[in-house]
Amino acid sequence: MTKKNIKTLPFDIINTTILTLVAIICVIPFLYVFFISISDGLYLSRGEVSFFPKGVNIEAWKEVITNPRFSIGTGFRNSLVYTLLGTAIAVTFTYLTAYVLTRPRIRFRYFIMTLFVITWVFEAGIIPQYIAYSSLGFIDNIWVMIIPGAINTQYLIITKAYLEGLPKELEEAAIVDGANDFTIVAKIFVPVTKPIIATIALFNAVSIWNQYLIPQMFLHNSNLKTIQQVLANVIVGATESPFANVMVNDVWLNQENMKAAAIMLAMLPIVCIYPFVQKYFKKGILIGSVKG
Amino acid sequence: MLFKLLPVGGMVIAFQDYSAFLGIRGSEWVGLENFKRMLTDPYMLTLVKNTVILAVLSVVCVFPFLVIFSLFLNEVRFQKFKGTIQSVSFLPYFISSAVMVSIMYTVLSPTSGIVNNLIVKMGGESVNFMAKPEWFRPIYIFLQIWQMLGYNAVIYMAGIASINGELYEAAEVDGCGRWGKMIHVTLPGISTSVITMLIISIGNIFTVDTDRILLLYNASNAATSDVIQSYVYRIAFQSLGFPDYSYGTAVNIVKSLLAFILVIIANKLADKYAETRLF
Repeated sequence: MTKKNIKTLPFDIINTTILTLVAIICVIPFLYVFFISISDGLYLSRGEVSFFPKGVNIEAWKEVITNPRFSIGTGFRNSLVYTLLGTAIAVTFTYLTAYVLTRPRIRFRYFIMTLFVITWVFEAGIIPQYIAYSSLGFIDNIWVMIIPGAINTQYLIITKAYLEGLPKELEEAAIVDGANDFTIVAKIFVPVTKPIIATIALFNAVSIWNQYLIPQMFLHNSNLKTIQQVLANVIVGATESPFANVMVNDVWLNQENMKAAAIMLAMLPIVCIYPFVQKYFKKGILIGSVKG
Repeated sequence: MLFKLLPVGGMVIAFQDYSAFLGIRGSEWVGLENFKRMLTDPYMLTLVKNTVILAVLSVVCVFPFLVIFSLFLNEVRFQKFKGTIQSVSFLPYFISSAVMVSIMYTVLSPTSGIVNNLIVKMGGESVNFMAKPEWFRPIYIFLQIWQMLGYNAVIYMAGIASINGELYEAAEVDGCGRWGKMIHVTLPGISTSVITMLIISIGNIFTVDTDRILLLYNASNAATSDVIQSYVYRIAFQSLGFPDYSYGTAVNIVKSLLAFILVIIANKLADKYAETRLF
């Protein structure tokens, strides 16, 4: 065994090195932006911040969050509301629909499922979508972030597959006891299907938080805009960037500091929950890919 | 009780079909006029060319890289290290295009970005990457690899985990080293998932990355970055006066057709490829 280990040692070393490099390339841009956001603008403008922060402070973060002129605070709050509300509704709808579609009693359930799959495969394109949604009153209406995406076919398929895998005895006993569907869902299904609920909740939350095209199409009122829109406006539409170099609390803030802080804020919630929930993501992707 | 639950599902179906329904009706009053106009519009050629090049590049350049990464990741001996790399590479998948593109803007900024700082230090001249048509495609492809690396690794690693261990033992008896095992056992073992992922990625090219394209697009790099989606988007939301919805929709239909044709081709190729693999 040891002989073999020695024989493959060069391979191991090279392999580990390459993968470490790839991993570093993956994280460095994030770290770099983070370092800029906490560095002193003076060093930054002299090009002295590269791989480590210099003159560490959190003034840029404070400025970006509190200064109403950037509307980043508003965007963050809006995104948070849409995400929480949207996730709650999406999970409820998806779960109940999956429950209904797995009951053998329901006639037409394959037909209904086909309808869902059709909505997934065929996309009308943004213009018909825009026309349809505006006739439904979705312009500058926060529900555009919540209702149209409430049942995502992929997540529905994942949930359905999970519910189908439950033993039939579970609910049979309850039916004998005279329980109705609401009791069965609440008392029996939900407790034993917590992993799938967590998975679809997380997928929905991430996708709502990250939405860009939908809010950009429908939410024009600056009080309703999401953090992603605000971010894209201040950075990608850089010509009319609202950031200017300022002096706050004796710290010189470069506009790059503030841009970096804005970027960090827009990914903060995801980075915070990611370490704790990545196993659910992996599971969800695997169920989805097997079925899809 | 069930009849109370059903309309919940039914309501949303109606809702989602509604947009598709309007699409069909919309294309009716478009008539053939718009399609004719499209055929005579010289700009359409550029759009289609850009779209197809980007689509082909993002399969040809991205795909092998993702498979190779997973194969090498599988060869890592230390489980902890493997787990760390996997978590780190998986994270960008969950970050929005707006953030990713913003990061690129910061990193590649002509005045303060780290890349240009390095270029200047090495005696070069700083490049405004975001405004250069020739840099749009590399940036797009880089973002694609960056975001999809971990996602694909998760799928392939699961495929690798399900390979029968006896195959490896047999290969060892036949004198295969680690390279040999990787190429003769692991790769064929995941070929089905690789083909599936390939078909999915080809089919998705036209739908998924609209956000990224819209965010990377600007007037100066339009020569390569203007694709069908960004064009349709501009017609609908950024044109002066009354937007030409029907023309935009017509262009969009062509896009859907292109996507459909691509999926069919990919499917055919996969059939062929899988067969030559199997026999």
